[in-house]
Amino acid sequence: MNLIVNGNEYQLDVVTIQDVVVHFGLAGKPVVVEAGGTVYASEQWATTAVQDHMRIELVHFVGGG
Amino acid sequence: MQTETDVLRIGGRCLASRFFLGTGLFPNPYVQMEAIKASGAEVLTFAIRRINLENTEDDSILQHLHNESYIYLPNTSGARTADEAVRIARLARASGLSDWIKVEISVNERTLLPDPIETLRATEVLVKEGFTVLPYTSDDPVICKRLEEAGAAAVMPGAAPIGTGLGILNPYHIGLIVEEANVPIIVDAGLGSASDVVQAMELGVSGVLMNTPVAKATDPVRMAKAMRLAIEAGRLSYLAGRITKKKYASASSGLDAFQLK
Repeated sequence: MNLIVNGNEYQLDVVTIQDVVVHFGLAGKPVVVEAGGTVYASEQWATTAVQDHMRIELVHFVGGG
Repeated sequence: MQTETDVLRIGGRCLASRFFLGTGLFPNPYVQMEAIKASGAEVLTFAIRRINLENTEDDSILQHLHNESYIYLPNTSGARTADEAVRIARLARASGLSDWIKVEISVNERTLLPDPIETLRATEVLVKEGFTVLPYTSDDPVICKRLEEAGAAAVMPGAAPIGTGLGILNPYHIGLIVEEANVPIIVDAGLGSASDVVQAMELGVSGVLMNTPVAKATDPVRMAKAMRLAIEAGRLSYLAGRITKKKYASASSGLDAFQLK
C-alpha cells in the first residue's frame, strides 16, 4: 500500500504499524509513532492496522536545549 | 548546612541540582557525557525530530544515557503554534520516558523569541492532559504570572535570545518575576558564562537551563563544571543575603580608636 512516512511516499507491503517500524529497521529502538494524527504506544503497534495513503511520522529524541 | 535541605521541587520531584542541561551542539557523544557528569545536572533537555529513514544508523541520543537516572525534559522546538507544540508533547510522552515537557514556540527565526500567547495556550491544554509543563517564555512578569496560573510546574523566562550568550538583558524583570512567583523560576536561554549564572542565581531564580554556553565552549567539560560551581556560589550568595550598597566607605575596624596621637 501507499504510505506517507516522514513526508515521503513509500510503497510498502505492510499491515500494521509494527510492520512499518520493522521495515525501516527501527524495531527495538526508542521510536515514537504517529499514524493518521494519532500517537500510538508501542504496545498498540502490532494490533493497529495502517490504511492506504496514511500519514505516518516516525520520530525520536535528538540533542536539544 | 543550609544547602543540604535546599532542594528544588518541581512536578513532585526533588532535585539536588539546579542545573538543567541541554544536549544539543556538543562536539561528540563522549564530550557530552563527560560534560553531563561534570555539570551534576539531573534534568536533561532534548528535542523531538523525524528519524532520518535513509540512515537509521544515525541513532537516538538516548543510547549514550543508559542506566542513568536522569529526568528527561523534551522540548517542543520547531513548533510555531500551540497546536503544533501539543502534538510534539504527545509524541514525547508516548516515548514512555517522561511526562515533563518544555513548551517552546517560536515563529521568528532570527530572534527565536518565544510566542507568549501560543505558549500560554499550549500550557493550558497540556496541564489539563496531565503533563508537567515547563514553558519557556519571554522575561515579562505578567506572562510569567499567567503561565503559573495556568498550572505550569515551573516558569522559564529567557535571559536573552537562544544561543546569543548575551546574559541577562533585563535583570529588573527577572528579579520581579521571582518576587511574584509561587512556582520555581528557571532562567532559560541567553546566558553566556559563569558570571551570568551567578547573577541569575543571586536574583533568586531557582535554577538555570543552558545548552550553547556549555556545548560550544572551547572546553565544554570544564565549562560544565564552572557553571555548576557558579550555580552553587550564586545560590549560596542569594541565601546568605548580600550587604546593601552604600555610596561612601565604612571602615572594617571602626574609626573611634583610629588616631594613635
